Amino acid sequence: MDDRLRETLSAMMDDEADELSVRRLLSHDSQDEVRAQWQRWQDVRDLMHDGHSPAHGMDVSVAVRELLDGRGSAPARPDPAVQDSKAGRWHWPAAAMVAMALLVGFGAGAGWDSSGAGPVQPVTAAAPETSVQNQPIREIALQGLDEEQWEYMSRYLLEHAQHNSVGAGRGAVGYARLVSANGVGY
Amino acid sequence: MPQALIDIRRCRALSVLVGLLLTFVGPLAAAADEDEASVWLERLGPALNMTSYRGVFVYARGESVHSMQIAHRYSDGVVEERLVLQDGGSGEIVRKGMNVVCVLPETGRVQLDQVIPSGPFAEAFTSQLMPVNRWYRAEMKGEDRVAGYDVVSLALTAKDPYRYSHRLWLEKSTGLLVKSHVRNADGEVLEQFQFTSLHIGEDIPDSEFEIRTQGREISRTLDEPTPAASVVQRMNGWQLGWRPEGFMPAAAPRSGKGRAVAFSDGLAAFSVFVEPAGPVTMPTGASKIGATTVYMHQVKEGDNAFLVTVVGELPPQTARQVAESVRIKDSLALGGGES
Repeated sequence: MDDRLRETLSAMMDDEADELSVRRLLSHDSQDEVRAQWQRWQDVRDLMHDGHSPAHGMDVSVAVRELLDGRGSAPARPDPAVQDSKAGRWHWPAAAMVAMALLVGFGAGAGWDSSGAGPVQPVTAAAPETSVQNQPIREIALQGLDEEQWEYMSRYLLEHAQHNSVGAGRGAVGYARLVSANGVGY
Repeated sequence: MPQALIDIRRCRALSVLVGLLLTFVGPLAAAADEDEASVWLERLGPALNMTSYRGVFVYARGESVHSMQIAHRYSDGVVEERLVLQDGGSGEIVRKGMNVVCVLPETGRVQLDQVIPSGPFAEAFTSQLMPVNRWYRAEMKGEDRVAGYDVVSLALTAKDPYRYSHRLWLEKSTGLLVKSHVRNADGEVLEQFQFTSLHIGEDIPDSEFEIRTQGREISRTLDEPTPAASVVQRMNGWQLGWRPEGFMPAAAPRSGKGRAVAFSDGLAAFSVFVEPAGPVTMPTGASKIGATTVYMHQVKEGDNAFLVTVVGELPPQTARQVAESVRIKDSLALGGGES
């Protein structure tokens, strides 16, 4: 979902989206994604106002579309005041504040999934697809390495221990890692 | 990003801010706990270097347990340290200021001249306060006694799945680290370090800092701290596409033909090595030694193969993600065309 769609969603939450943007949003390919984002924001807002989400699990897109097509009762309110550039400015504070709120622990975890998507994202914003995190990892048993391979690996272990001991100022712990690295192969 | 919460009108942003501030008032006790923990954490680095102490500690990871005798003295701004292995082969490490001498067991299968740093080295994290609280939830865990000293215990719980959690025990009057645990998300202790006997603040005679073990000595002088630019230089030819938030590049020794860069978040550290693949074929995957993960895999760039290795106190998944994000930009800069 691009920033423009996000802004439309954002404006929708405040009843200020113009008709054209809402149409664009509703015709967006991945409706699931749009719906999920909407749901998360509703959840966050409700958490902040300490209430329950009335929109939980609700799909308003049909109603909105009907409204836009003139089948509904109230006309959509076009609002030319919605400007793309302004919303962008609040990008970071918003992310930071939601992250902060989560870390302080108010209502943490209530109502959203733990896959790392959505408002929790700022904390781990740089993460690639979460699926990678869950894939099983091939384990290499140290005992299975031949002499040359072991030597190769222990050189890396030792170098890293060096970084730790002096570089990281960990003193004794770092040195212990170093000696332990040297001794694993006994 | 949820701009909707703050959106365009500042008044709403303001009201949200006020709301947030109010939510901060609630967990005041928790915040005070965090503050106390930060004060202790700030003492940790300086205490490790600027306290004089001697004793014996054990260090265990995976199936190996080692015991070492240590004497550490700080006088006139110079750190002197001597570590003597208490088990396995005999060996010792003596450090005076930036001068390090190692005598290590002959039984070790590693050529140490490869690993003792010959290049720039820095005491990066003792001088640089990392905002550890951003990546770990700090909590005071009460008082205890270790090696005859009263200690405070603090838990640093990882806030994301990309790093391990730590538990530290610091001596009350000096802040010296006397015991530590590294735990995974299941609470399993992967690595532990603990003093079993300790004397803090005594005068330690010069004779305690002399090498006594016979054997092959390796001596190196550590250089002055490296400016940040050299990290970029050492990453010449490759790029890291991803690393867990909070891990900052740290100065690392330049040794052998390794292109190593170290990263640390203030508690944990990992090193990334990118080298032309040698004659030895290494398997792809992760090995774990206590809290330390080694993840290796090969990258093909044109006709050249490179071995990417990530070593660090990281969960295997994180090590793999870091290793797989390495992109070779310029194989010639990495010496790919030489062999």
